[in-house]
Amino acid sequence: MNFQIPIGPQHPALKEPIGLRITVDGEIIREADLRLGYNHRGIEKLAESKTWIQNIYLMERICGICSHSHTTCYVQGVEKLMEIQAPKRGLYIRTLVAELERIHSHLLWLGVAGHEAGFDSFFMYVWRDREIVMDILEIISGNRVHYAINTIGGVRRDLDELQVKNILDSLSVLRKRSEYYLNLGTTEPSFVARLAGVGYLSKEDALALCAVGPTLRASGVPMDVRKDDPYAVYDEVPFEVCTADTGDVLGRTVVRIKELFQSYNIIEYLLKNLPTGPIAVRAPRRPKSNEVVSRYEAPRGENIHYIKSNGTEKPERLKVRAPTLGNYAATIKMLKNGFIADVPLIFAAIDPCICCAERAVAIVDARTGQEKIVSTSSLKQLKQNVSPNKERKREVVWPL
Amino acid sequence: MATVRTLVYLFIYPGLLFIFIYSTFCEWYDRKLYARLQNRMGPTHTGRGGILQPIADFFKLMSKEDIVPERADKGMFSALPAFGLAIVSTAMLLIPVWNYQLSQPSLISFNGDLIVLLYLLTLPTFIFFLAGWSSTNLFSTIGATRVLTMLFGYEVPLFLAVLSPAILANSWRLAEIAAFYRQRPWLMLVNLLGFVIALISVQAKLERTPFDIPHAETEIVGGTFTEYSGKKLALFRLMLDVELVVASALLATVFLGGFPGGFWLGLLNFIIKTLVVIFILSLIRATTSRIRVDQVVSFSWRYLAPLAVLQLLIVILVKGLIS
Amino acid sequence: MKIGAFIPELLRHLAKKPATVDYPFKKLEVPKGFRGSPYLKPELCIVCRACERDCPAEAIEITSLSEAEKKFRMIIHNDRCVHCAQCVDSCPTGAMLIDTRFEIADYDRHNLKMQWDYIRAVVKPKSEPKSDQAKS
Repeated sequence: MNFQIPIGPQHPALKEPIGLRITVDGEIIREADLRLGYNHRGIEKLAESKTWIQNIYLMERICGICSHSHTTCYVQGVEKLMEIQAPKRGLYIRTLVAELERIHSHLLWLGVAGHEAGFDSFFMYVWRDREIVMDILEIISGNRVHYAINTIGGVRRDLDELQVKNILDSLSVLRKRSEYYLNLGTTEPSFVARLAGVGYLSKEDALALCAVGPTLRASGVPMDVRKDDPYAVYDEVPFEVCTADTGDVLGRTVVRIKELFQSYNIIEYLLKNLPTGPIAVRAPRRPKSNEVVSRYEAPRGENIHYIKSNGTEKPERLKVRAPTLGNYAATIKMLKNGFIADVPLIFAAIDPCICCAERAVAIVDARTGQEKIVSTSSLKQLKQNVSPNKERKREVVWPL
Repeated sequence: MATVRTLVYLFIYPGLLFIFIYSTFCEWYDRKLYARLQNRMGPTHTGRGGILQPIADFFKLMSKEDIVPERADKGMFSALPAFGLAIVSTAMLLIPVWNYQLSQPSLISFNGDLIVLLYLLTLPTFIFFLAGWSSTNLFSTIGATRVLTMLFGYEVPLFLAVLSPAILANSWRLAEIAAFYRQRPWLMLVNLLGFVIALISVQAKLERTPFDIPHAETEIVGGTFTEYSGKKLALFRLMLDVELVVASALLATVFLGGFPGGFWLGLLNFIIKTLVVIFILSLIRATTSRIRVDQVVSFSWRYLAPLAVLQLLIVILVKGLIS
Repeated sequence: MKIGAFIPELLRHLAKKPATVDYPFKKLEVPKGFRGSPYLKPELCIVCRACERDCPAEAIEITSLSEAEKKFRMIIHNDRCVHCAQCVDSCPTGAMLIDTRFEIADYDRHNLKMQWDYIRAVVKPKSEPKSDQAKS
């Protein structure tokens, strides 16, 4: 007997509204359908009516968890448009906050994965230890969620010696705890039984369906914007791209925990090699008329902002491609032939940020109302035109 | 005098009033323990250390709006919570706490009451199934099928594990089994494996993590209880609490030597032993993550049932040795 | 695979103090530099309107009360404020400041409004604003 169950738009497993129509045969999923649009906020349109400065804070509010990702991605693009270069110390602090955010996001995800699997003790402990990194962020930036540390041309707050020492101390605690969770998450039998082999995504499928971030890396594809197209100071910082070959939820968990350790290393490197100097440069109020694509490796995957300016105080067009959007197609693939019990886990494993991804996929010309779908090859061409100075480190086979 | 005694037995101790107070206390104990194991505070403000929180929750739910879905089987839907509570409360009366005579069988302690108690503990599972099924909600229906699927898994190991001590004691009467093990305490060790199996099965029967599959909130919302609200939900929650007490009392009777010592000492014994059992159940709840329903069945039949049979074999061998 | 791998950690915490705080009764300190609600030091404001222009939430409103007396009114709509402290960065004279209050919820959004009537100050901008907010 086939019947459809609606997961969402309101469901305890989902923290944000999204519709998942699941056709089940007993406990087994035969078909899955994803419905978006419950949380559309018109951010891209709103951005067109705000100044470049105001837009930083608007971009921050695209997402609560990866708030720094969106501002950095935006600010990098605007800096390119304005032809200014943020000073080294500013970039270091920006990267530092980015990595702290990655830690906080991955710990959050780890806890959520525990909760979705019904492992509430794990959830409680992980989230308790996540408070450490939240406190660091609060001390650095003055707030726990919306750090607002970026500004066009650098960062807004400097670090002092005491804070540096504070962060390093807290990091050693976090490192110990993360080791414990890596050990626990991969040995507790009931937890592993829930994660291993669930939501399998092969390497070919991951590439063909344009998965991004840890979802892609867990399928054995070492793709990371930080390595492939380094921004900020990632070309100076030694780190590794973490991958797993299993392609299941356990692999995604392992990739995320491994990335935590990479982040700890990066932060230690950044703090030990923090250059002196100014943290920001003055930025003009109006950039030249131009367009730019900015890429950023958010905790959830590749984040892309396309910014077009027409020489005024406000952007003409701002397009956000949040990482979650890239993972939706792969999610449908992962859900098929799984169990109902695995829906929350598989869905949570892409670390969905639904309000991030809530925007139209088709490109509509605002003036003529024409809709068109831009092919990946022309987007790639565009990327070559816009940022030719950065060459790709590794030749990646484009799937399409 | 006998009538008064019976009435006291039915309504005050260990009847309804005691069941109500003690089961809410056990819920508080379970919640507090679970919270402290997770480095949280747990219930804090209602009463000393939040001890009255479950009672407050109960009365809050009683005063809430009671909604019956339009397409539900209304009679069944409304009657089930009361039936369930009645069944588990009846089961509570069979626990040999007080007012029974070892030498003389009575209405609440007779030869074969172990079987009746196990039967009464199986009925709540069907109550949950019927509750989910009669709600006609998709999530409830899935929850209901999960209840039954799980039943096939844990019921047989539970019966085998609980019956093997009875075979050793050569009696089907709870009071006699307890008395038998009190006289020969070292024989309790023989049933250690059975105790572990029974703990796991009881955890599954009570639908607590890792077996909280029928009402796994992140998967199927409220599961069997999705459509229940107000008084009916309050009764169901009380029923689960009472079931927790009854099941842990059953394990304490069969495996830990019962509750000797008359009225006061018996009560003390009862409280300590059930709390010990509940402590272990809470620890299991805190240590594990929820497993899938197919994993429950395969786990039960692959590990629990063979181990229970092994326990039975051990018991038979030991019985041959001591007789 | 280790059965009950979590048990030692759980039991270790059984006797420990909870990590959570009994919030409305006990409060945690916010760190120095916490971004609470913005407020104005009217004696320093030169009415350059940089804050009004840069505020992403349009929470700051400066109106002229009397042109002759150079009297102005600033209203900060705290119900709209997103606590980004951009106004503090934008202000060239240091007239905008931010406090560390965080429990500012109210039953009525109009109670959150803060208002100052003042005469325009004549202060030389002390420093360059930290970022790019000066008029270009």
